[in-house]
Amino acid sequence: MAHYVAYISIYENINKAYYDASFTRLKLLILQPQGFPMSNNYFNTLPLREQLEQLAKCRFMHMNEFTDGVNALKGKKMVIIGCGAQGLNQGLNLRDSGLDVSYTLRQSAIDEKRQSFKNASENGFTVGTYEELIPTADIVLNLTPDKQHTPVVTAVMPLMKQGACLSYSHGFNIVEEGMQVRDDLTVIMVAPKCPGSEVRAEYVRGFGVPTLIAVHENNDPQGHGLALAKAYAVGTGGHKAGVLMSSFIAEVKSDLMGEQTILCGMLQTGSLLCFDKMIDKGVDAGYASKLIQYGWETITEALKYGGVTNMLDRLSNPAKIKAFDLSEELKVIMRPLYNKHQDDIINGTFSRTMMADWANDDINLLGWRAETGETAFEKTVAGDVEISEQEYFDHGILMVAMVKAGVELAFETMTAAGIIADSAYYESLHETPLIANTIARKKLYEMNATISDTAEYGCYLYNHACLPLLNDFMKDIDTDVIGRGLSSDDNGVDNARLIEVNEALRSHPVEAIGATLRGHMADMKKII
Amino acid sequence: MIQLHNLAVEFDEGFQLKHINWQIEQHQHWLITGANGAGKSALAAVLAGYGEILAGNTSGLPCNIGWVSFEAQAELIQAELKKDDADILDVISLGTPVREIIFTAEIDTTVAQGLIHKFELNYILDRAFRKLSTGESRKVILIRALSCHADLLILDEPFDGLDSTAHTLLQHHLAEVVQHTPVVMVLNRFDEIPEFISHIAYMEQGELRHQVKREDTQAYAELYQLLHLKTTDLQVPVADTDNVIPALDPQQPLVKLSNICIKHTDMVLLNDLNWSIEPNQNWQLSGPNGSGKTALLSLITGDHPQCYTNDIFVFGYQRGNGESIWQIKQYIGYVSTALQWEYRVGTSLRNVIISGFYDSIGLYSRSSDRQKQIADQWLALLGMPNRGDQPFNKLSYGDQRLLLIARAMVKHPPLLILDEPCLGLDDINRQLVLALIEKICAARETSVIYVNHHAQDRIAGIDNYLALEKSSDNC
Repeated sequence: MAHYVAYISIYENINKAYYDASFTRLKLLILQPQGFPMSNNYFNTLPLREQLEQLAKCRFMHMNEFTDGVNALKGKKMVIIGCGAQGLNQGLNLRDSGLDVSYTLRQSAIDEKRQSFKNASENGFTVGTYEELIPTADIVLNLTPDKQHTPVVTAVMPLMKQGACLSYSHGFNIVEEGMQVRDDLTVIMVAPKCPGSEVRAEYVRGFGVPTLIAVHENNDPQGHGLALAKAYAVGTGGHKAGVLMSSFIAEVKSDLMGEQTILCGMLQTGSLLCFDKMIDKGVDAGYASKLIQYGWETITEALKYGGVTNMLDRLSNPAKIKAFDLSEELKVIMRPLYNKHQDDIINGTFSRTMMADWANDDINLLGWRAETGETAFEKTVAGDVEISEQEYFDHGILMVAMVKAGVELAFETMTAAGIIADSAYYESLHETPLIANTIARKKLYEMNATISDTAEYGCYLYNHACLPLLNDFMKDIDTDVIGRGLSSDDNGVDNARLIEVNEALRSHPVEAIGATLRGHMADMKKII
Repeated sequence: MIQLHNLAVEFDEGFQLKHINWQIEQHQHWLITGANGAGKSALAAVLAGYGEILAGNTSGLPCNIGWVSFEAQAELIQAELKKDDADILDVISLGTPVREIIFTAEIDTTVAQGLIHKFELNYILDRAFRKLSTGESRKVILIRALSCHADLLILDEPFDGLDSTAHTLLQHHLAEVVQHTPVVMVLNRFDEIPEFISHIAYMEQGELRHQVKREDTQAYAELYQLLHLKTTDLQVPVADTDNVIPALDPQQPLVKLSNICIKHTDMVLLNDLNWSIEPNQNWQLSGPNGSGKTALLSLITGDHPQCYTNDIFVFGYQRGNGESIWQIKQYIGYVSTALQWEYRVGTSLRNVIISGFYDSIGLYSRSSDRQKQIADQWLALLGMPNRGDQPFNKLSYGDQRLLLIARAMVKHPPLLILDEPCLGLDDINRQLVLALIEKICAARETSVIYVNHHAQDRIAGIDNYLALEKSSDNC
């Protein structure tokens, strides 16, 4: 118990340190010798050469790299921390793959029989406290939310046995918080790129979900980190759907960038602007609400199949040229914002400000969440009107333009920052339909509830900056591009212009890498 | 209009038709079909006035009937033979010449001569009828029936014994006849059905089970499959010899569940249950809703999370010792309504069957040519040949179920679990599924667990029963 109290007080000290930057380094220096290994931003400690090398890591692995199956983990004791959706469903898969899985929860969660305790025990898993289970573990799977990582890892690390492995499903703690892990421990990351429920559902069907793996090179003393990560990916079924070999740094920096700009931020800002514009121009509110709520999903479905090119090909020729012109204009206006997000992510400004909010009881996050709930779009129920699949494109030209601008900007910014095209593709274009799907389910509320708090925080930052940025642009927008579609008398196009637009669409670098990677994924998924 | 109302009829051999309700209206041309011994010919014979009516009544039966059937043919031949026997004179009877058999009072000579010409039968006119070959005498019977200005033509397997030229000739001629004469045809093969047939009656065990309009293509296709399953000598396609499931020890039970207990927070579903399934045993599992049938099965299939907290021995594995569920599932074929709900993948019929080799929903592995071949054999067996590339989700509910049974069977699993396989199926599809299950049980190489609400709903070939009750005890 004394141990617990001590940890709390030190954690508070650290939080205070965020407020008082000038003392940060000093306090951390004081803290580290006491056995609570904290440091500042790991990425920033690396020389540029290594930063670039780490950012550029991302490789689609071949099926024959997984022939060893789960052997590297066979007979090893796997202890999962946290039993939420990821924790439970990954555990069910790993156990069904013949691995030894149990759950460790904080004493209070066990005593109060919280949901996490019920999740684990009703599924027939052994559940125990950190003290009971961590010392027995060969591999500890940290599947708690980002903001719990520091306290959780700090608490379990002293209990871990010599030479064990610590696994993450997101690299934030290592990269942004600079968690220093004991030298004898192996540190890996296995991150299924889908919600927990899907991780389970796909496994049960005999398939899996695309998964990203990485080994933290500072912590691979026995050189078996990759073998463990591969076996773990096989245990969850991920190898059947495709595995990306990446680095902690590339995962964090690209994940943060994608989620706060195109994936969540652009869709939130786009939703609010498009809705208000339609209302302003007298479009029926129920129709406007439905067009946006389901429109993102419908148009990005085309993106999923054939990239930006295919999404624009779904439009008539005049509408395509219109969408292209709008998106070019949007890219010019928004590029500084995308650059700022990427810069803040790379240099650690973003994570620092967000962690300050964590330390401040999430006051910003919760306030912004409430604010989103009060927007006109969020409060207007989708009308009971029929909108055909094609109409979502025809009446949503501006939405198509926003998705195109967002995807291309995010991709361009990421690759300019040294992130390899493969990563940039996955974290921009590839995931857009997944997020659009959450909006279709329950609007922005559902999107922000599904994504991590980290993504949500970044999304609000983007939204706040982007809304005023697009103010002037929106003044010239009318219902021909959002809500009603082009009138039939603007049917003509100039041949030369059309050829130019088509050429520009098809030659964007996100289209080339997209075609290659979609090919890989199709090979994996393809029902032959 | 001909009406048969609640009719029960008995024939010489003791064969009975029961509960026949049938109405033939003008301009309808019926086909009676069904498996051998189902009562097709008997029903046709009732229209011709044969059989002893036990109950019910008929109305509107025409007097002048042209009847072609094996029975009618046999009857005529018998009569001829009798004449021969009756000949007490010590001279050899030449028998009645064909000319006399055909040109009787009620025959339209012109029509008959036209047909004789078409069938090129002039050469037999002076021969004795009883000396004719089967095909020749069949043609004579046909000519008689077609030339008597019948009010109703009953054609019971009219194409039997005809060569292909004669077959085509008859088809063409019938196409004209049906313009003015209603036809009732008996066939046990769908592929011979002439265009003009407008309605189909399906007989089974002496009852008229289904009446289907030709234009109802869905019902027509289902009837086709049912007939196909009932009339084909079912050969279950062989397993994939290139990918053999590891052999099991024949001395050990397939499944041994000991002191099974399944509990949820607030209730105990199964308590202290023991169940052992030996190789080649067929079981029926019954019990009311909520008695734990599906939960019990999911302990066997490895789909229940509490299979790790119970004493379960399956296919040589004591559960919870590092085996994967795929090692368990390879021994099991499984069909349930829940599986059908889950099987919502855009894939082809062929791939659905092949996915049974991999126990997956959808197909995620490259399949071999051999596997494709086997899948196509199953499709043919289900009466869906050449439909391998069609999408699964466009199939009718009943066809999907049949396909999932084939998926479950394709690898010849030691254990086949059919969890309420007929749930939600209409009568034709239910019979289709049951027909398939009976064939599988009869083969005796797979142990079957057949789950059903009703303990009395028994299937031929199943002789072990486990009935669950709702549990109220505590573990």
